[in-house]
Amino acid sequence: MISAYIPGESWFHRISAGPKLLGLCALTVLLFPVDKPGIAALAFSVALVLFSAVGWEGYRRLMALRPVVYLLVFLLIFHALTGTFVSGLVTVFRLFTMILLATLVTFTTRMEDMLDALNPVLTPLNFIGISSRRIALAIALVIRFTPVLIGLAEELGAAYRARTGKRAGPRLTAPFAVLALRTADHVSEALAARGGADGFEDTAEFDGGLPKK
Amino acid sequence: MSDVTVERGGHVVIANLSLILDESRIAIVGLNGSGKSTLVRTFNGLISPSGGEVVVHGIDVGKAPKAAARAVGFVFQNPDHQIIFPTVAEDVAFGLRQIGYSKADARGMAVAMLREYGCDDWADRPISELSEGQKHLVCILSVLAMEPEVLVLDEPFSSLDIAVRQNLLSRLKSLRQQIIMINHDLDAFDGFERMIWLKDGTVHADGAPSAVAPLYRLHAMQMAENLAPKNL
Repeated sequence: MISAYIPGESWFHRISAGPKLLGLCALTVLLFPVDKPGIAALAFSVALVLFSAVGWEGYRRLMALRPVVYLLVFLLIFHALTGTFVSGLVTVFRLFTMILLATLVTFTTRMEDMLDALNPVLTPLNFIGISSRRIALAIALVIRFTPVLIGLAEELGAAYRARTGKRAGPRLTAPFAVLALRTADHVSEALAARGGADGFEDTAEFDGGLPKK
Repeated sequence: MSDVTVERGGHVVIANLSLILDESRIAIVGLNGSGKSTLVRTFNGLISPSGGEVVVHGIDVGKAPKAAARAVGFVFQNPDHQIIFPTVAEDVAFGLRQIGYSKADARGMAVAMLREYGCDDWADRPISELSEGQKHLVCILSVLAMEPEVLVLDEPFSSLDIAVRQNLLSRLKSLRQQIIMINHDLDAFDGFERMIWLKDGTVHADGAPSAVAPLYRLHAMQMAENLAPKNL
């Protein structure tokens, strides 16, 4: 889930990003063939307990996942109607477990560490001309600008409500897109001012006493 | 800079401008559309002039825009457009990694810098939880961390209350860097040595702020009375 890091010193924070991501992968693979609701429920409770590593703040932020809960409830109803309630239950527990654990990893890992952990996986892309550095940057930008864009959308919606008294709904899609693109222009300018996506490593012609490695 | 002309969308924004900017605190004023933002964007290669050349600390910006961007730190109007990373230390460290420091060094330096400015516990704070003033400070620190020679500020702090703005301005005063600042609020230029008044892409007045500011203020007041809606 796209949500910010929760600063802390818990044992889960101290595990480095690589093992956490690998562990998450391994658990996903292990959980996949599980078909007993008991085991799935157990996995879910363990995930809930592990989640205590991020304390109350973590549980509070979980509220943001409400839409996912609706989706899972819908999934369960669908299974019940088609007469596969038990396998539906297993699926829901399994998905809940994975979401909880993935969120836990996100909450306890700094963005920067996460990207560095991903670097070896992304490096092969360099051979086909895609810079892993750019992908890492793109991921960081998405995370940074999700709340900014949500804020913009809220402002736009409030401006509409202020003048019409109605909720805007999908009507504001086009103006929002324009606003988002304009923001993107500003951001790319600011990024260019700090050396662009590839940094300053190719500025050998200039070293007028500036600190450089 | 000599003989610089910038055209955008078919019309001339900066016309044959030649300036030598060597004072340590330079103010740039002018009404909207006078070419202020365009002018400062030629200093670090964000905008390329269609004629003339810009040289910053010996670097020809046209030939080496990256090196110029390295020498010129840029603080934009809206911090939400400038801060690229989700947490404070990451954003400050980003510039350092851009100039080649290792991840660990960059983080160490970023944290040390935050401590120096009394923001010890900010390192892992999400940007979205900072106040506007705090975001502006992060923008400045992120740029200063890269040790530029020149700091350009394009209408900074316009969304801040007077107290926070004054605080940030006084932090700028002690910096070793040359500062070139665009602002509409003339009070922000306390202690500046030179004021350049741009009008229609050329220099309308240039001199000590004590001489230029009253003229500019008078002009702006006269304009205010005669502005038609199409000129707002």
